[in-house]
Amino acid sequence: MIVFNGVSKIFKSDLLSQPFVALDNVSFEIPRGSMVGFLGANGAGKTTSLKIIMDFIRPTSGQVDFTNLGSDRSGIFKKIGFLPERPYFYQNLTGHEFLSFMGSLSEVPSMQLKKEIQKWAPRFKIDHALNRQLKTYSKGMLQRVGFLATILHNPELIILDEPLSGLDPIGRKELKDVIVEVHREGKTVFFSSHIVPDIEEICDRVIFLKEGKLVYDGTVDKLLQSEGQTEYIVKYRAPSEYTPQTDVKERQIFPGNLHSSTVSETSKNELLKELVDRNLDVIGIEHIKPSLEEIFYHIKSN
Amino acid sequence: MLNKILIISFYTLKEILKSRILYVTLLIGIALMVVTYVATEFTFGVPEKVALDFGLGMLSLSSLGISLFMGATLLPNEINSRTVYMVISRPVPRWVFITGKIIGLMSVLLINIAFLSVLTLLCSYLLGGEINQAIIFAILFNVLECMLLLLVVVFFSLFCNTILSTSISLLVLMLGHAIKETQNIGFVESRAFIKTVLEVYHLILPGFYKLNLKDFVIYNQTIETSYILNSFLYGSCYSLFLFCLIVVIFNRKNLD
Repeated sequence: MIVFNGVSKIFKSDLLSQPFVALDNVSFEIPRGSMVGFLGANGAGKTTSLKIIMDFIRPTSGQVDFTNLGSDRSGIFKKIGFLPERPYFYQNLTGHEFLSFMGSLSEVPSMQLKKEIQKWAPRFKIDHALNRQLKTYSKGMLQRVGFLATILHNPELIILDEPLSGLDPIGRKELKDVIVEVHREGKTVFFSSHIVPDIEEICDRVIFLKEGKLVYDGTVDKLLQSEGQTEYIVKYRAPSEYTPQTDVKERQIFPGNLHSSTVSETSKNELLKELVDRNLDVIGIEHIKPSLEEIFYHIKSN
Repeated sequence: MLNKILIISFYTLKEILKSRILYVTLLIGIALMVVTYVATEFTFGVPEKVALDFGLGMLSLSSLGISLFMGATLLPNEINSRTVYMVISRPVPRWVFITGKIIGLMSVLLINIAFLSVLTLLCSYLLGGEINQAIIFAILFNVLECMLLLLVVVFFSLFCNTILSTSISLLVLMLGHAIKETQNIGFVESRAFIKTVLEVYHLILPGFYKLNLKDFVIYNQTIETSYILNSFLYGSCYSLFLFCLIVVIFNRKNLD
């Protein structure tokens, strides 16, 4: 649906300043019907990439192609819903006026617009506030009215820049539920976030940027398998002075001669064999998988 | 596309009207009535002239002020608050967006000018003055002058920050009014270099003095049709050229 092809972006504020490479030959693809998370630390180039996709800024080199969305700009943008990061909107307009404004620009017939507002406003819990000026809205309410404006015209591709920032845990949960719901309806969702667990929870694919370079593009599961070191915690009973011969990463002894040893995947069977040979009582084995967040910090720090 | 231009201008007008900027217009209107009342008490024989002079002056100042200060923030505010992203991420070309924004702000100016014009003419008429063609032309040319100033300030706001674009545009406005008389003073006429510089300036930057017909009205001078036509063409063509330039630059501008 989106083909981001060898895109670089170099910023140079004035003649004397050093050029800043925001994106360095980045390529990725967003397939139709997927839910893709766009990860990266602040300044990694996520927002710059989204601005290039939306044609707000032009790349220094490379190009962005839209497949199956139409041939002309107008046709393509009719099928895209975009929510920028921390939008402020038109402060003096009411929520209803703002949504009507956005809907009419997306060529939504007034009857359908009314239906869509009636359908989604209660879901986002902003129906009671639609007649109030946007300057009276809280940050979370603005984010929700912005998301409603993004999906009003029933777009095929939804691009969101940090949609969950500024929301309380309940608001985040509600918005995530709606994102999952629109994705299930067949929409392609591409959203950036630095809240890693949110992406791990709802995305099937992840694109990872670090300092303007693409670090990873693939499924979340594959990233967890390739980057994460799987470990096991083996719990057993043994005399307190007992020390395993097998190489263990961490060892703890609890009251009642309960031992807990953390071992790698390769040492796991060796330790079990040793315990069985010594006729020690194995209580349990726990499989420890690293979270996407741990992998994110691991990649970030390396 | 015309429909989308109208939608953007309508909501721009709505947003500005709700910001209560036109309270200024209302205050000026009240001041105009107070001055007119005072004029009837203290002037002998010509209170209608004082009302007309003050009315046209206030009309010009307030509408130029709105053009200058609101024009300087018209685009930077949209970019800083990312509201522009919400609009141009839809099937709305950039030229449609900027045209709608400019027409929206022009509508505010027209409301301001229409309200103060009616009040000025009413005050002058009630004091015995007559409403002639010259007054109507002076008001219409004030609209043209405001539009030109608005485009000048929007043009500069594409490159500079708000303070700089306001200052430069104010300078261009003042020089544009003073250029003709400056060229005619003896000091300039006797110095070829300064004269050339001013001639070049006159050629490139807008000569706002051509759009000022207030003096003709106040001093009861006749305005020749050719002068009106020439000034109208000058103002319109310059505005059109500037508008095209703004559209071309905005189309290429990185909105970050």
